[in-house]
Amino acid sequence: MTTAIEICERCESPLETGDLRCSICGQVSPADRPHAEKLTVQILRCRGCGAATAYDIKHQAPSCTFCDSVVEVETLEDPLEQSEGYLPFTIGQDEARKAMRHWLSSLGWFRPSDLTTSARLEQLKPLWWVGWVFDAESFVSWAADSNAGSRRSAWAPHSGQVEMTFDDILVSASRGLSDAEVSAISPGCDLATIRKEPEGAQNATIEQFDLQRSQARQQVIEAIQVIAAQRVEQSEIPGTSFRKTSVSVVLRKLITRRFSLPAWILAYRYKGRLYRMVICGQNASYVTGSAPYSIIKIIFVAVSVVAAMLAIFAAVAAS
Amino acid sequence: MTDAPSEQVADQVEISCQACGSTLLLDSHLRTTVCPYCASPSVIERPPSPNRPAPSFVVGFVVDHDRAAAAVRDWISSASIFARSDFKQAAPEVTRGVYLPAYLYGAVANSSYSARIGEDYTETETYTTTDSKGNTVTRTRTVTKTEYRSLNGEHSTYIVDVVVTASAGVTNDALEAVEPFDLRALRRYEPSFISGWLAEDPSRSKDDCFQLSHDESVAKVEQLLHEFMPGDSHTSLQFQTNLSNEVIDLVLLPVWSFAVRYAEDRPPVQILVNGQTGRVGGKVPISTIKVTIAVLTGLIVVGGFALAIASQN
Repeated sequence: MTTAIEICERCESPLETGDLRCSICGQVSPADRPHAEKLTVQILRCRGCGAATAYDIKHQAPSCTFCDSVVEVETLEDPLEQSEGYLPFTIGQDEARKAMRHWLSSLGWFRPSDLTTSARLEQLKPLWWVGWVFDAESFVSWAADSNAGSRRSAWAPHSGQVEMTFDDILVSASRGLSDAEVSAISPGCDLATIRKEPEGAQNATIEQFDLQRSQARQQVIEAIQVIAAQRVEQSEIPGTSFRKTSVSVVLRKLITRRFSLPAWILAYRYKGRLYRMVICGQNASYVTGSAPYSIIKIIFVAVSVVAAMLAIFAAVAAS
Repeated sequence: MTDAPSEQVADQVEISCQACGSTLLLDSHLRTTVCPYCASPSVIERPPSPNRPAPSFVVGFVVDHDRAAAAVRDWISSASIFARSDFKQAAPEVTRGVYLPAYLYGAVANSSYSARIGEDYTETETYTTTDSKGNTVTRTRTVTKTEYRSLNGEHSTYIVDVVVTASAGVTNDALEAVEPFDLRALRRYEPSFISGWLAEDPSRSKDDCFQLSHDESVAKVEQLLHEFMPGDSHTSLQFQTNLSNEVIDLVLLPVWSFAVRYAEDRPPVQILVNGQTGRVGGKVPISTIKVTIAVLTGLIVVGGFALAIASQN
């Protein structure tokens, strides 16, 4: 597991084991080695055989020319990301089934009338999907075009700077769930319920992070930039339509946690076709998925609308 | 250095080999030596001083001597056609792998900028022209025009991974020619890492290096600002950058240094090879004769055309 060892003294983001520099601001993590007090000359000797060691290209490390053993040096570590803990399932299999029926019946009139009764559940599988949750403080500089203050062109340039804080923002690292599915179900998760071990479901698929730490940080920072740009458009830029929004984000206190989050994945069959649903494993009201439309009902409505319009035309023409 | 023997002594230190006890004379800007009597590699450590801080990081050699020499030969033979012929035939000599001292710089850059932002719009305009029958007709067309609006603002960003030379023997341009180094391969400096290789201490003052870092940072900011500007186009970008929260750390970078001596009367050309990526950089000596011939040929061709056109009229 990756753990924070200390806080960067410059931007106050935690440094993790194996970081030689802060990934946000580039500050060097403190070294253990003391500096030389006076001029010293040393020959570095192999711990095994006592012969002199020298840096060897083949090993990419200092190694002993006689016994070929390699000297360990502190290298930047870039381990695969590991989940820090699991949010337990609080929704059981039966509740998930009920949630599916409820969701299918709540979809509205344009769905087939027999959808709820004829949909056959093919598969119901618990999944722990992975994601990063971050907190950060930031100072965001932005520039954009908007319609506010425009003259002959539809666009006018604007710029500004704003302090922004991020609390418990979730970034998906999942390969199994789409980003749309994640944003639909993640508000139902309670991050405070984290446990060391998976709890609440048997035979679950447990997703792993398949990224290295450096790539993960890159993804989180890209996500922060996207969110910052969205927030700037929502509340900073004057006007109602925007384009070419650019942001420059100076981050402080970026704390990233790695979570495994629960979800029920359902597959149901309706008239020979498979449809997929995802239910939040902690709150059955957060549901997303695909469902068939009733072609007949849609055609019926379209035909009646056209018929009504023709009738109105006829009436207008007659008068 | 041959004409100032007294300075030579001052620039050297005497150390004794810890393996065989022989006394070695060593240039004071070197961190390593190999004893000529017993071949033991020594690493020298001095108390850090402001202009000579202790190294924080080192990037290890990946490219070995043979690969570096092959890269230089390829680079020389593919040099521009205006390169001197004797240079293209010269063999690279006196190669040495050296850990070059460089500073890794970072800062927070706060800039105030102003620019003219071009916002495009379309207008329908009428114009008169003659149609195929020779009649004058009035038509309309849509043209794109640009309206310029001024924009002032502030921009803040982290600047990281600026690398500048700390060795007086290598200019910053020469180092930039073989950059980038992959900084993901940084290792914490350990004396054992440079053992058996040449390693230099910084020979430029820290103030010089700060200046180089500032210049590179401002160039980076300018690039960022050009990307930051809204609008369909922009002109007259001006900015003032204030760098704060600076960090500067000494890093030893692996470089193969080649000297190419191509003519008796010319100084040898320094060619560097990035010891991590194999990228080659150096200044190719241009043949003035070749350039003159090319320019003359060009003039003759142009003159010939002019004459031909003049004689036709």
